[in-house]
Amino acid sequence: MRTLALLFTLLGLLPPVAYAQEADAPEGAIIDAVEVSGFSLYDLSPGLQKDINSLVGAPLSRERLNELASRVEEQQPEVVAAVRSVSRPDGKARVVFLVARISDDTDLSENINARYVVESVDVEGPYNAISQQLRDDLQKLVGKRLDTDEAERLKDQLESELPGREVSRRISKGSQSGRIRVVFEVFEEPWIRFVPPRSKLVYHSEQGWSGALDIPMSGSRSRQRFTAGVVFNDIDDLIEEYSGFRLAFESRMIGTERLGARLEFSRYNQTWEDATLSAIASSPGIPEVYRNRLTFEPTATFAFNPSVRINGGVSISELESLMNSPSSQMANAWLAGISADHTWESKNDIRQRAEASYQLRAAVDGLGSDLFYKRHIGQARYQFDQRHSTAITSLSLGYISGNAPLFERFSLGNSTTLRGWDKYDIAPLGGERMFHSSVEYRFYNVAVFFDTGSVWDRTTNSTIRYSTGFGIHNDNFFLTLGFPLNNDDDSGPIFMTGVRF
Amino acid sequence: MLIGAVTPGLMAQTVTVRTVADALHVQARGLNFIEGPVLTRLREGRSVRIDFEMTVLSKPEGPAVKQALQGFTLSFDLWEERFAVSRIGTPPKSISHLRPRDAETWCLDNLTMPVSSLGVGRATPFWLRLAYRVRDVAPETNEAPGERYTLRGLIDRLSRRREEADLAKSVDAGPFRLP
Repeated sequence: MRTLALLFTLLGLLPPVAYAQEADAPEGAIIDAVEVSGFSLYDLSPGLQKDINSLVGAPLSRERLNELASRVEEQQPEVVAAVRSVSRPDGKARVVFLVARISDDTDLSENINARYVVESVDVEGPYNAISQQLRDDLQKLVGKRLDTDEAERLKDQLESELPGREVSRRISKGSQSGRIRVVFEVFEEPWIRFVPPRSKLVYHSEQGWSGALDIPMSGSRSRQRFTAGVVFNDIDDLIEEYSGFRLAFESRMIGTERLGARLEFSRYNQTWEDATLSAIASSPGIPEVYRNRLTFEPTATFAFNPSVRINGGVSISELESLMNSPSSQMANAWLAGISADHTWESKNDIRQRAEASYQLRAAVDGLGSDLFYKRHIGQARYQFDQRHSTAITSLSLGYISGNAPLFERFSLGNSTTLRGWDKYDIAPLGGERMFHSSVEYRFYNVAVFFDTGSVWDRTTNSTIRYSTGFGIHNDNFFLTLGFPLNNDDDSGPIFMTGVRF
Repeated sequence: MLIGAVTPGLMAQTVTVRTVADALHVQARGLNFIEGPVLTRLREGRSVRIDFEMTVLSKPEGPAVKQALQGFTLSFDLWEERFAVSRIGTPPKSISHLRPRDAETWCLDNLTMPVSSLGVGRATPFWLRLAYRVRDVAPETNEAPGERYTLRGLIDRLSRRREEADLAKSVDAGPFRLP
């Protein structure tokens, strides 16, 4: 360490001591003496010894000196070498090669680039959000050898001043040889996130296949995203079975990271299960079935912070009648909602995530709707991960008043709710009231679950249903067998498999 | 020099051992760890710590007879465009101006075990497990929560599994006998 301190003192990188009065020799000055410090010249190859000794009497060339210093390092890779030329009073030059062991210096052992001088310090990110004190501290790195401990402290300080963001430090070459640039990269955690695509390929042994592919198009850090989606067939989500396409454009930052917007346009063709058609024939109060559903849905989101958001907008839907085509009904609703989520991570591999949301869709006077209703849904989910174990619990509550179209009605008994039941056995027209809860435990992706739920209308009684099951389940893939626990008939278990991405 | 057979799944590596005085040295041709996310990080001027573990086994998949641990810090000299390695511990030892394969070899050369501590005779075969783990290097990720189900996210996740595999590796070889 002392050797290196001397080395860098001589190079003028630390406050000069012994050579304070001695100026650098000019290019072309005649060299009258060459010294090697901290190392024996005889440890070098005869050829390199000769080349160093032959400097005496030759005009000074910094390029030549640096080349010789590099050759010293190549021949003795456990050392770093530096060279300095000092001007004599008589105009001649004295050249000093200073050699020091890397292992004698903690910073160099940690990162060999600590031998270089910091030319600049940049922050890639919200520079204006950083305190003046921290900006000053960052700039104090300039002009000195890279102090890795101090750079690490400043990185921590940046993360502390920019909560919710991750900071990474990298180094790149500077504009001159032996100089480096230090860059602190600040990665944004978006306050408003894109709506996750709904791509899936799902099989339910009672309902059959469902398939959809959403293709998001954007850069990984882009603030805008366009998504084109094709629904080949979906009988899993709603009471209706539908196919068609959807297009969505999203911006998660409009002027400020607190404000985002989303436009979605979709056109779906519907087919209906016999159970649904039979049930609706005997339920005159429920809006009619339709053959096409055309929807335009502009929404805006405001984030109070990275965890809490509110959203609002409208949903304009035209439902082309199945029985009386081409006549149609409009189902136009105001949208409003609030959502919150948070993730906690601890050092002992424990990760917890909690999510909660409430959404209201209100088709009221003023939007030209033919159907008037209010649909409320509240959902909460908690997930606990520790190494190979995952526990998940969730709760959903839904309530509809008025005369809601079929796509708004709640249904349970698919690949995500009341697993083990078929929704067309429970409520072929869906329902206006709903609750559902689920508890699931996974170990090495082997899952067991217990679902409870009920869906009913204002004129009928609620029947609580239970199901349990097991299978393989990770974030994307599932293969499960669900068993209804209080089914009146002898229907067997339901097999479900698929991938969601 | 003794050459050991490698378990079938890892035929890309050829493991050899040699003794110098009382030290057992190991070489593993093809066990390349300066690549992928490690190389990316090094070329960005960051340092990377790699921990090695050499375990002598009495039989394949058998109990450990002796174990040696050694950590190294790697960095990439941006101006010389060569790698530097420092052995962690006492006495410190460092080297620079190395090409990637030479830096890997230097790490293994500095991972030794006293032959006298093995307690195996010349006629007794033994097996070796050589493992490394890269510390403090997370696979590259740009996703935000809630975006992991995108097609891009899925591709990223699948690639990341490959990157994660690059960050820790283990190779078993044997049988060996002391010369």
